[in-house]
Amino acid sequence: MEPEVPPPLGPHFRSVARRPRWIAVLLLVLAVASGFAFLGRWQLERAITPQDDTDTEAVVPLDSLVQPQRPGSPDAYWRMVSDDLRIVPGDAVVLSGRTNTGSETGYWVVLHTVETDGGASLAVAAGWTASEDAATAAVASLNGSDAASVDLGAVVGRYLPTESPDESDFEHATRSALATAELVNLWQEPATPVYTGYLVLRDPLAGLDEIDSPPPIPQDEVNLLNLFYAVEWAIFAGAALFIWWRLVRDAELKELGIDPAQLRRSRRVRPAARP
Amino acid sequence: MTFAPLPEDAGRIRGWLAAYRVSAWVTGVFLLLLVVMMIVRYGFAADLAIGWPDQPWISMGPRDLTPGEDPTGSWPPGVLNLSTIILIVHGWLYVVYLVIDFALWRLCRYSFGYFLFVALGGVIPFLSFFFEWRVPRDIRGIVARLETQAEDESGREPGSEVPA
Repeated sequence: MEPEVPPPLGPHFRSVARRPRWIAVLLLVLAVASGFAFLGRWQLERAITPQDDTDTEAVVPLDSLVQPQRPGSPDAYWRMVSDDLRIVPGDAVVLSGRTNTGSETGYWVVLHTVETDGGASLAVAAGWTASEDAATAAVASLNGSDAASVDLGAVVGRYLPTESPDESDFEHATRSALATAELVNLWQEPATPVYTGYLVLRDPLAGLDEIDSPPPIPQDEVNLLNLFYAVEWAIFAGAALFIWWRLVRDAELKELGIDPAQLRRSRRVRPAARP
Repeated sequence: MTFAPLPEDAGRIRGWLAAYRVSAWVTGVFLLLLVVMMIVRYGFAADLAIGWPDQPWISMGPRDLTPGEDPTGSWPPGVLNLSTIILIVHGWLYVVYLVIDFALWRLCRYSFGYFLFVALGGVIPFLSFFFEWRVPRDIRGIVARLETQAEDESGREPGSEVPA
C-alpha cells in the first residue's frame, strides 16, 4: 500500500528537522541567509542617499566652500555665496540660446572676474537679455579699449558647476554653454588660478535681467539599481531557506519510502490512477 | 533506497540541459568580462566607458561609483558605464544559471553536492566552459537510460507506473 504522504511541515517533518544533522545544516543556511540579508541591507543603504539638510540660501563666502583649481565636493554647488570681485576688462563674452523664466531663448553676459584678495579668476554670469543688441552692447562697454577695471565690490550669487562645452556650438560657430575650461582659453588676461564652477549674480548688471536660478529641490535620491540588488539578496536569502526545507523534506520522504518525483507524477496522473 | 529520475522527465531534462549549455556559455563569457572590469576598476581605479567624446568606442573613464561614495570624476551625459553594465548583466545571468541548476538537480536527482559544484561555474572564471562540456556528458547518460526505460514501459496504461 502506498504510504500516506505527510504534510510539508507536519510533525514528522519537524522530528526529522530536529536531528543534529539538519539543525547543523539549518545553522549553516541561516548563516548564509544572514550574509545575504546583510548584503541586502547594505545595498538598501546605498540605494537611498539621505537628503542634504544644508541651507543652500544662507550666503557663505565662496572660498569657505571651494578652492580655485579644485573640482570641489558636490555639496559646494547650488549654494548662495559671496565674494569681492573685480571685472577684468576685455574678457566679457555673450552666450546665446539661453532660456530664462520663459521658453524664449536669449543671451547671457558672462564676465571674467578676479577676487580682490587672492586674485583667483571666477566666471560670472552677469544677467540675461532677450535682445542680442543689448547683450553685445553690454559686452562692448565692458570690452572697449577705454574700459577700466570695474570693481564689483561684494557680490552675492549662486555658485554652479561648469557646463560641458557643446560640440554643436563649435560646428555652428556659436557659444551657448558656460564651460569654464573653454572660457579660460578666450580670456586675454593670463588666467590666474580659476574656480571650476561659475557664479550667477543675484543682482544683474544694469540693463540685464536676473538669471533665473532657483534653489535646488531637496530630495532623497533613490538609486533603483541598488534597490533592485537589495530585492535580489532578499530573494537569495529566501531561496537558501527554501533549499534547506527541500533537503529535509527529501530526507523525510526517503525515510518513509516515498519518492518525491513519484509523488509529483502521481499528482499528475492521480485522477486516472485512482478511479 | 535510492531514487531514480523518472522516464517521462527525459524530454524535460533535455530541454533544461539545452538551456544549461547556453547559460553556462553566456555566463562564462560575462564572468571573464567581469574579471577584466574588476582589474580595471580596482587595479587602475577606472571604469570602462562606451561613447566617451573624442575617444575610441570603448575607453576608460574615472571610476564612477554609486551614490554614497565619492566619485573620482564626472562622466559626460550619454556615456555608458560598461563596467557597471557587465556587473549587472553577469548578476542576472548567474541568477538564471542557478535556476537552471536547481531545475536539473530536481529532475535528475543528482546529489546536493553536485548542485553546489555546478553553481560554482558562474563564479570561478573558465570553470563554466569546462562544465558546459562536462555536465551535459553526465546528464546525457541519465537521459539515455531513462529513454531506454521509457521504451520498455511503453505500451502500458498511462499512470500504471504509480507505485502501488
